[in-house]
Amino acid sequence: MASDETAVLEEERKTLPTKKKRKKITGITIAQIVFVIALLVYMEIAVKKKWISPVFLAAPTDIFKEGVKIIKDGTLLPHLLISLEEVLAGYALGAVTGIAVGLLWTLFPKVEEFMSAFCSAIMAVPKVAILPLLILWFGIGFKSKLVLIFLFTVFTVLFNTVGGAKQVSDEYIKVARVFETGRVKTVFKVVLPFALTSIFTGLKLSAATAMTGVVFSEMQSAKAGIGYLLAESQNFLNTKRLFFLVILVTVMSVLFVKFFKLLEYLTCHKWRKV
Amino acid sequence: MPSIRIENVGKIYEDADGNNVTALNNINLTINDGEFVSIVGPSGCGKSTLLEIVAGLQPATSGNVYLDEKPITGPGRDIGVVFQSAALFPWRTVRKNMAYGMEIAKVPKEEQKKRIDKYLDLMGLKDFADKYPSQLSGGMRQRAGIARTLIMNPKVTLMDEPFSAVDHLTRSTLQEELIRIHQTEKKTVLFVTHDISEAVLLSDRVILLTPRPGRIQEEYVIKTKQPRSRTDDEIIKISAQIIADISRGAEFKEAEYFI
Repeated sequence: MASDETAVLEEERKTLPTKKKRKKITGITIAQIVFVIALLVYMEIAVKKKWISPVFLAAPTDIFKEGVKIIKDGTLLPHLLISLEEVLAGYALGAVTGIAVGLLWTLFPKVEEFMSAFCSAIMAVPKVAILPLLILWFGIGFKSKLVLIFLFTVFTVLFNTVGGAKQVSDEYIKVARVFETGRVKTVFKVVLPFALTSIFTGLKLSAATAMTGVVFSEMQSAKAGIGYLLAESQNFLNTKRLFFLVILVTVMSVLFVKFFKLLEYLTCHKWRKV
Repeated sequence: MPSIRIENVGKIYEDADGNNVTALNNINLTINDGEFVSIVGPSGCGKSTLLEIVAGLQPATSGNVYLDEKPITGPGRDIGVVFQSAALFPWRTVRKNMAYGMEIAKVPKEEQKKRIDKYLDLMGLKDFADKYPSQLSGGMRQRAGIARTLIMNPKVTLMDEPFSAVDHLTRSTLQEELIRIHQTEKKTVLFVTHDISEAVLLSDRVILLTPRPGRIQEEYVIKTKQPRSRTDDEIIKISAQIIADISRGAEFKEAEYFI
């Protein structure tokens, strides 16, 4: 059948370019690698030869040794766990609330009409500015961090969910109506899958900011956590530890975002490009 | 017996500038049980609007539509609709798309599977059951869209330019298949198209609407037995007649206004 062939061809067309797109090692890539290595070697020599004070810069080998040390002697782990706990709890709460409220708004436009002005207003507040207030209310422990990260996350996810839901095409809604789909089922079977792209965008955006939030709040006032460790290292002028922690936080942040990219791939790659 | 009666239906809507636009004016039409009726007319004559009114997707400004003498107040499972661009859910496979209506209607799983297998077979979609719409050609998508509607066994099927987005060859195949299915299932069909030869080839009756505001200009009964050939004398003759009448349509309407 002719149409079978066209379908097969289409599939081939889809797979071919991706194969070609596989990155080739070009001159530029080599130049980039050389540049990074040169920079690291310079840092090493500059610090070891005392061209630059170790207060300002750390030698890569020292950063590595410091990292190994605080992992081995158990300094890092409790702080890492506390930060992770705060960020995961706050983020999960924010993401779930954001999606849930987003769907609620889609189901009941009146609720959106009432709430959206307030949500926009709270969203406009720079979250870090209310940290002192949160500390007054919730103390310097887990709770104030949880609330801050919740606030960092919830609005981005909420507005992305609502935005995605509003873009659902008329046609899909007509199909739902023709098959007599009720409001709730329309939201869950049609609007939610349609909005997934936008929801994942919200999740990825806020994953990075959530990590920022936790480090910042711990640096301001905390008894533990990666941010606390950063502030402490600064007080003791332990620059190599500062460098190590910055790298660690960056890697965590990237992994966190990657996790949602993977999740998006797993849920959506079968029916659209991710 | 399932029949559709459109009685004095008119539609006035407000355009973006706040002006009232009359899309349809005083439409009276009865579609009998098992009949295949097409609506043709120049673009913008309100044929899709009429179809959506019959489907219960939008209300008429005046008049009523009856299914088996009961007024239509909203969309219902007795009336199936096939959309112009298939409108399959991209996140569902062909099989899952076909199951959608049955899921909502809470049809038991085994029954769902039985019906899906039957329609996969009937529409030539067997090898594509587990593909997603993005992996299908336009013709395949439209087949799946038709299957999704017919699988619910609606009393009446409405089709809104279902073949306008597929290439010419696929279109011919789909038309033949639609005739075959209509011959075996004897369903009442209301078909909207801008392709006159398509309307004449498929239908028992063709209704020509005037340019906006759409009203019935002419009605053509096609008696040639199915399966028909595009080259049958009567098919060619009626197609030519309709094309001539369309170009006369505008003048015709103006003349009527003066009388």
